[in-house]
Amino acid sequence: MSESEKPALATTESLETRRISQVGMKALVRTLLKHKLSRLGLTCICLLILMAIFAPVLAPYHPNDQDLYNVLKGPSKEHWLGTDNVGRDLLSRILYGARVSMTVATFATLGAIMIGAFFGLLAGFKGGVIDSIIMRTTDTFMVFPGLIFILMMAAALGPGMKNVVIAIILFGWTGAARIIRGQVLAVREEPYVEAAKASGASEWRIMFKYVLPNSIAPMIVVTALAMGAAVGMEAGAAFLGIGVQPPTPSWGRELRTGYSYLERVPLFSIAPGALITLAILSFTLVGDGLRDALDPRIRGEGKKIK
Amino acid sequence: MGMKQYIIRRLIYSFFILAAVSVLVFAMVRLLPGDPIRAAMQQNVDLTDDKIVQEVRARYGLDKPIHVQYVIWLTDFFQGDWGISLSSGEPVLHMFLRRLPVTLELFVGATLWAWIIGIPMGVLSALRRNSWLDASFTTVSVLGVSIPSFWEAILFIYLFAVILKILPPSGYVAFFDNPVQNLQSVLMPTFVMGTHAAGSFARYIRSSILEVLNQDYIRTARAKGLREKAVLIKHAAKPAMTPIVTIVGMSWAHLLSGSFIIEFMFAIPGLGRMGLDAVFARDFPVIQATLIVGALNVLLMNLAVDIAYGFLDPRIRITK
Repeated sequence: MSESEKPALATTESLETRRISQVGMKALVRTLLKHKLSRLGLTCICLLILMAIFAPVLAPYHPNDQDLYNVLKGPSKEHWLGTDNVGRDLLSRILYGARVSMTVATFATLGAIMIGAFFGLLAGFKGGVIDSIIMRTTDTFMVFPGLIFILMMAAALGPGMKNVVIAIILFGWTGAARIIRGQVLAVREEPYVEAAKASGASEWRIMFKYVLPNSIAPMIVVTALAMGAAVGMEAGAAFLGIGVQPPTPSWGRELRTGYSYLERVPLFSIAPGALITLAILSFTLVGDGLRDALDPRIRGEGKKIK
Repeated sequence: MGMKQYIIRRLIYSFFILAAVSVLVFAMVRLLPGDPIRAAMQQNVDLTDDKIVQEVRARYGLDKPIHVQYVIWLTDFFQGDWGISLSSGEPVLHMFLRRLPVTLELFVGATLWAWIIGIPMGVLSALRRNSWLDASFTTVSVLGVSIPSFWEAILFIYLFAVILKILPPSGYVAFFDNPVQNLQSVLMPTFVMGTHAAGSFARYIRSSILEVLNQDYIRTARAKGLREKAVLIKHAAKPAMTPIVTIVGMSWAHLLSGSFIIEFMFAIPGLGRMGLDAVFARDFPVIQATLIVGALNVLLMNLAVDIAYGFLDPRIRITK
């Protein structure tokens, strides 16, 4: 399902095995923009980020202002999307909801990728026992179904946005670690690494100065896909009642409350859900575009056809 | 390496992962804040009486050192003693077995939907590459993997139960009580659960077939004058199958996460609902069982995929 149950970072597992060619940032952006669907995705992501930043300017009401004389009203001139069960303006709550969603996705993804990159680098570069221990640990983590793992962790850690971020990081680092490791295995055999070794550079310096920067290219694909997965997981957890607590507006929670009033005010649950879907979809499209841009085989083919 | 040896190696590997999983589950559940005994006994026991609390603690083995608790728990678990639910007082294994058929029905239904929709979509878009059909199937499958199940479920419930009134909005009727109502009650939940898998099937199958069609041996087969059908069936089908086996296995493994949301939304008394209720009730014997069963489900599916791989692609047996 979801999405929510998206195999998170594991969806990009195929990246593990193939070495992606190094592409300049400029060329990457150019190819990405040529791709119609990823251009659309990128535009939507920018809009969502602007929405999160400028929510206080854009929102017609304060998201927690209640108007108990106007509860569960459909769309009107005063309230474009209608009101919720305690008379709060739905549009304002949805605009503010972008903040939780984007913040959680950004921090969870960055955290997972930083931790994953560190362990993946260590495993791939050091090899041997360290590699085995790290890889068997990722195997163990990956055996747990995503949403269930996050739900249990978030329940163990207690409510709050920070704990959802930690839960998603704990689940997501493994995928990043495996992909980086695959790249490192190829990069560490490169002549420049050997040259660095010969010139007496320390191991850590070689790892972070030479191996890591040259192994990082596929992470950009992973980042995009993981952002989408994180939005889905945050929303799923919030929908099930874990994570950000009321009255902070969050799409997953709005949807949950709105679900109880589906017959009276369908927009109450349908509108926040549409935003969640839009966010996940946009990240998936950008991830797909980046993957195609980085995959030398697909890149070559595109030229032949057009 | 022979097939037998390969299977034995995979079995040993799975066993060690399972051992690691059990330690992780045990540790995770101990992390849950709050005293589970106090939480569970609040209603019917005088908690100011420390003696009673100690007695209950001893009954659940919570007074022993942590590693002893772990060994006891693990031995009991494999002997079929999964503990007693703190919230219902029922043996966890009973609860599990009673709910298992319900969730299995959802799994099977979702998998069927995924196959019926995803496989033809993937195959057709690969064969008609860059046609309008390919473009529309690709769009549909991106939507399929991106749409969160709870939103899709709401859209369906609104359309079929609220507006058209042709399907029940929620609830579950056992198959043997009323087969027709049973199928009606699982129609929406299984479809929604299958959507994500259908989308990823279509995407994987498409790229997997395209990758195979780019190989040199396919060009050779075409060059020697084989008809396209023969090329596809005799030379392309088997190698294209291998990655598909992975995605089929992976999607089955992730259905359990989906069941947490779907069973909650459609009020279906399955394993997902049991696990979710347990999280909120801090019913740790049930949480442990759910986590172990969830992990075991993935582990067994991975093992099956690995073995299938060994048969389909002999190269794997050497490299792994």
